[in-house]
Amino acid sequence: MSRFVSYVERRWDHLLDLTIEHAQVVIVALAIATVISVSLGILTYRREHAANAVLAVAGIFLTIPSFALLALLITPLGLGYEPTVVALVMYALLPIVRNTITGLRSVDPAVIESARGMGMNGRQRLLRIELPLAWPVILTGIRVSAVMLIGIAAIAAAVNGPGLGSDIFDGLARVGSPAAINLVLGGTLGVVVLALLFDAVFLLVGRFTTSRGIRD
Amino acid sequence: MTDAPQPMIRLEGLTKVFPGQQTPAVDHLSMDIPEGEIIILVGPSGCGKSTTMRLINRLIEPTEGRVFLQGEDVTTVNPDALRRRIGYVIQQIGLFPHMTIADNIAVVPRMLGWDRRRVRARVDELLETVGMDPGTYRGRYPKELSGGQRQRVGVARAMAADPPILLMDEPFGAIDPITRDRLQNEFLRLQADLRKTIVFVTHDIDEAIKMGDRIAILQQGSKIAQYDTPERILTTPANEFVEQFIGHGASLKGLTLVRVSDVDLAEWPVAQAPLDRGALRRQLAESDKASLLVLDERRRPVKWLTLRDIESPGSLDDVGLPAEPAIVEPNATLHDALDLMITSYTGTVIVTDRGGAYQGVVELDTIMRRVDEVRRAAVERMRKDEPGSVPAEDLAL
Repeated sequence: MSRFVSYVERRWDHLLDLTIEHAQVVIVALAIATVISVSLGILTYRREHAANAVLAVAGIFLTIPSFALLALLITPLGLGYEPTVVALVMYALLPIVRNTITGLRSVDPAVIESARGMGMNGRQRLLRIELPLAWPVILTGIRVSAVMLIGIAAIAAAVNGPGLGSDIFDGLARVGSPAAINLVLGGTLGVVVLALLFDAVFLLVGRFTTSRGIRD
Repeated sequence: MTDAPQPMIRLEGLTKVFPGQQTPAVDHLSMDIPEGEIIILVGPSGCGKSTTMRLINRLIEPTEGRVFLQGEDVTTVNPDALRRRIGYVIQQIGLFPHMTIADNIAVVPRMLGWDRRRVRARVDELLETVGMDPGTYRGRYPKELSGGQRQRVGVARAMAADPPILLMDEPFGAIDPITRDRLQNEFLRLQADLRKTIVFVTHDIDEAIKMGDRIAILQQGSKIAQYDTPERILTTPANEFVEQFIGHGASLKGLTLVRVSDVDLAEWPVAQAPLDRGALRRQLAESDKASLLVLDERRRPVKWLTLRDIESPGSLDDVGLPAEPAIVEPNATLHDALDLMITSYTGTVIVTDRGGAYQGVVELDTIMRRVDEVRRAAVERMRKDEPGSVPAEDLAL
């Protein structure tokens, strides 16, 4: 244990760099996935069939093993950053799009009715009423995706992707050597800390972006 | 009706057939709604009354027929712009939970592009109007209000941009009876000043009689069974459907149409401090009543004293029956008065002015006389209308 502590002390800068890289690729993928998913949710939440189709496709993405998906993406996108982001976006879709649809559908019909009755057009209803009311649910979807992506991003090292996965993979390649345990443990610790950090950040964001009127 | 002033709202051959349905929900409805009155659409559930109301602000588009507001055909104008000119209140209220009370009320004025100062002033004015302190409630959220307060905000929100027309779909339907009664009275008081044209949907004939200047009783397909004043609907129902819909006790319901201020009050022996046993005894003996009413220094009723109370050995402060709750103000209905009378100790209801000072009493006799008058008037009218009563179609327009 003490050996691991001294390892972390010695390699602190390196671990921090990897962690930041890891966080960056997750944030980029999450941002892209959020834009796509929320848009898809808005476009489909009133249409039963379209919504089901979108959910089914996003669901299939999520079931593809990450190794396989990354390997499949090598052919069109090569190695490194691009296939990593694309794969992460694909995994992040389902929780966000599902929560967007659920959130928009759970807005009280009486609220929509009164908004219509007051002369709000479709765009005004969406932007001023439906999205703000669905926001906590959508944000939960984004949070679930974020934590999930932090785990999956570690696998991206298989295609030379950025992040903490490279240390973990290095360690796994040197199983038996004394450095192996430290490498794997260091990478894993980084992933766990990052996941906790993201979770905390999302809780805070939720607090500050949700109206007091709909907070519990 | 050709010489009547232009109606605020005119419905012409209004028809709605919902997709996939054979029978129209609203079937060729024509109706004029005069300015400044509360028009009640009342009928059994499924008769199309809510649909009719929603055809007016085009939340439902008519299959056929037209709607005119102040002579203007609004069947083809932009529906969102139309709705901003018409206040809308629904049973579930539908306040926006993520907005403060002030923001809820400000929605339509802001859409209409009012500047910030005007919006703020209007919000405060409306909160005052519905009896809520702006300082206290402006920044609150809907979940922090009671059901009655939410309904008040709902009404304030509908009136925000001062629309000439208000559509109200069972606005007091989801509120407990006591609060409902209070809100109804408040609303009537408000309407007395505002004189809006109000289309009010309910399934409750008692509410219709209480709130309506005119009532349209609707049958299946929004067919008008009778469109008339509450008095005439109660005394001369146009057909069997109306009779059945009013139900038993039309004369009892008629009591809600008469205010205490409309009848002659009876006298009752009263006494004020300092109370003197001898004087009280004499006063009671001279009257034909079994008790005296004690008033406080501002002539507000305090309690009843019977002869036995006066003869009792202890202090007069400790005896007697409280005057509450059988006390009404002149704007109460005879129905309210009768209700209190039945449970009061003396079989009477005390009438006070706004400040609570004693004015007189209403006795059962007074109410019986009134019922009699109404009945006699109805019989007379029926004789005049013979042979054959007025067909519903003639009353409709």
